[in-house]
Amino acid sequence: MRAIARLVYSYFTSTPLTRALSVGGLVLCAASLLVLTSLPQSEHMLAVAYAGLLAFFLGSAFMPLMVGKLSRGHAARLLPHGRVKLLVSMMLTVALVALPAGLLTPFAYVAGVSGKWSDLQRNPQLLDFTINLGWVIFTSSCILAGWLYLAMYFITSQRNVAGFAKGLLVVVIIIVVPTREVNDLSATTSSNLLKLAVAWLVFGGLYLVWPRLKGAMANWRIPGLPFFGASSRTSGREVDLILGTANPWVYIAAQVVPVFIATFTGLASAAIWLYFLAIMSAVTGAVSGQAAERSRALWLRSGWSRAELFAQVEKSFWRHNSFMLGVLLLLMVGMGSYSGFPTSLLAAGLPLLILGTVLSTYLGLMITRGLGWTESLLGISIMLALMAVPLLLQAQNPNLVLVAAIEFKLLLLSLVLRIWARRRWTHIDWTQCRPSRVASARNA
Amino acid sequence: MSDPAVQASHLGKAFGTRQVLDDLSFEVAPGDVIGVLGKNGAGKTTLLELMLGFTPPTAGTVSVFGQASQQLSAGNKARVGFVPQQDELIDQLSVADQLKVIASFYPHWDGEFIDRLCGEWGVNPAARIKSLSVGERQKLSILLAFGHRPELLVLDEPVASLDPMARRQFLEQLVEASMDGNSSVIFSSHIVSDIERLANRIWILKDARLAWQGDLDSLKECVVRLHIRGGAETLEAMAISGELSRRRDGDFMTVVVRDFTPAMQADLRGRHGVDVEVESLGLEEIFLELHR
Repeated sequence: MRAIARLVYSYFTSTPLTRALSVGGLVLCAASLLVLTSLPQSEHMLAVAYAGLLAFFLGSAFMPLMVGKLSRGHAARLLPHGRVKLLVSMMLTVALVALPAGLLTPFAYVAGVSGKWSDLQRNPQLLDFTINLGWVIFTSSCILAGWLYLAMYFITSQRNVAGFAKGLLVVVIIIVVPTREVNDLSATTSSNLLKLAVAWLVFGGLYLVWPRLKGAMANWRIPGLPFFGASSRTSGREVDLILGTANPWVYIAAQVVPVFIATFTGLASAAIWLYFLAIMSAVTGAVSGQAAERSRALWLRSGWSRAELFAQVEKSFWRHNSFMLGVLLLLMVGMGSYSGFPTSLLAAGLPLLILGTVLSTYLGLMITRGLGWTESLLGISIMLALMAVPLLLQAQNPNLVLVAAIEFKLLLLSLVLRIWARRRWTHIDWTQCRPSRVASARNA
Repeated sequence: MSDPAVQASHLGKAFGTRQVLDDLSFEVAPGDVIGVLGKNGAGKTTLLELMLGFTPPTAGTVSVFGQASQQLSAGNKARVGFVPQQDELIDQLSVADQLKVIASFYPHWDGEFIDRLCGEWGVNPAARIKSLSVGERQKLSILLAFGHRPELLVLDEPVASLDPMARRQFLEQLVEASMDGNSSVIFSSHIVSDIERLANRIWILKDARLAWQGDLDSLKECVVRLHIRGGAETLEAMAISGELSRRRDGDFMTVVVRDFTPAMQADLRGRHGVDVEVESLGLEEIFLELHR
């Protein structure tokens, strides 16, 4: 129990940023509870609750990375009940993150319907309904949080094509399944509990037996057979090979497969498609986050100055990312023509995808000293801005001026990020951006 | 006699068609301090990982505290400490947080001992792990393996990144740990002088097998350099069993042999009428000769 409590505490408080987000999130949730029970209601009041829930979730964002690191290493194999305790700590974290949503929803509902708490005492059916609503939201949030953690785990722990593809697949599931359920209002506590039980049983079972399964699979391995995720590309420009940008087609395949699956799962709303592709465009550019640590070998082999090195690296990533961006734009246009997306959505959506890739590429290039506060906050802000545009376009009469203003500001931000990244590269210190130890151990 | 901490029988490991370890049988008794030597790629890390059940063997069996290493109980896991070759620290945590996370898994974590070692080794508990040097990270990895006072301590090249001072402090702690006679230590290293100073038993891995397993004194008695003086033709024709290398200069020859016995010296003198002197070798020379 001590280990589980320590793990959960560490997930929420291990870095100054996650500590601030966790505490801030709880404070905002408490404040929204106060607002919901004491002030006249308006839609804007709920923004406090949403901000609190988001901050509290982001406060625990360290969990997938920490669990991944502990699980992959030898440590968990020798820690007494190591994997079991890690699994329980994950489940507890998911429940903790979902709890505020479950607790706040009944209050928000009552405040929205009548605002009179005495109604609950007078009407037992209303009381049952609100309690049930709390349970439904709590269990739905558990499912959603679980999927989000899984996507974060894949994207943060496996910085290769395999991780990228798995992360995107999970993003598809997140977007398709929960949004459909919210639209249909079909979720019930019992169906959610069943889904949770199945998901955790499957995930937990696989997680607990994975080391033995992996060991057994290692014995079945056929020598010389390439594995998904391992780069077998050996020809191309030296700069591209060193930076890992020689082969965009594997990444493109990793993008197209989730889109293909999403098409068959009935993702109908144009705005959700744009939302989905905007996330993909940001992930597309994010591969440049590895540029700094990989560029050392390039700098040692070439006679380039740091400024020239940046120019070459930038060019290489644009050669790579423009292919991926091109495919995203084609997908958007193709789906738009086929499904009859509104012209305004296409007109605002295409620049949004370009901006997503540009911004994430330069944000990635800015990471020359590891991921710090500045980069994290910028990343979160950019993602929120990218996600806000599809939401604005979803309205019946979208505010196109506001959308254009957001996109224009994002364009300016991309110029600033490029200048910032270039300046950082002129002073790059490779002792501050060592290659990932896990990756080097895996390669060894 | 106490039960062995580790017991292996006909242990083998192959990756595809490549046989990394083949037919190894050994026992590790309480109080043993075993140094594992081998060239790069000889299979040292694989051997240590097989022992602790991180990877399944393709042949044979291995047990730790009488239990198959692949199915160690929580109780037995708490008796084992391991320092991997590549540290597995979480960069975002502080030293103190990482220690607290690992300590929370063990019922008998010796916090005072670790605090003392942190002070002696100059490890700052408030520092973020990502700001530590390679040597400091290695010190922290060792502290994480020491804290629960394991009865079996397995270390995969633990001193590679330590400065001489830290190496000495670490070796003193290892000696202290093994002095109680109940703890077993197995460590691989390329620093032969450390193994020579610390280990009471040596394992030398060569061609997927244990080319030597036994105590250091026996190894030094078996692998020796013979200085032989006699006629040039006699030396030319002389065949010596267990010969590892030979160098001849006129009527003088030096031969390194691996199965030396005092009877061999007498036999050479008697049969060939040559003068034979025996020179003991250091562990580093023995290692090099065995790998010629």
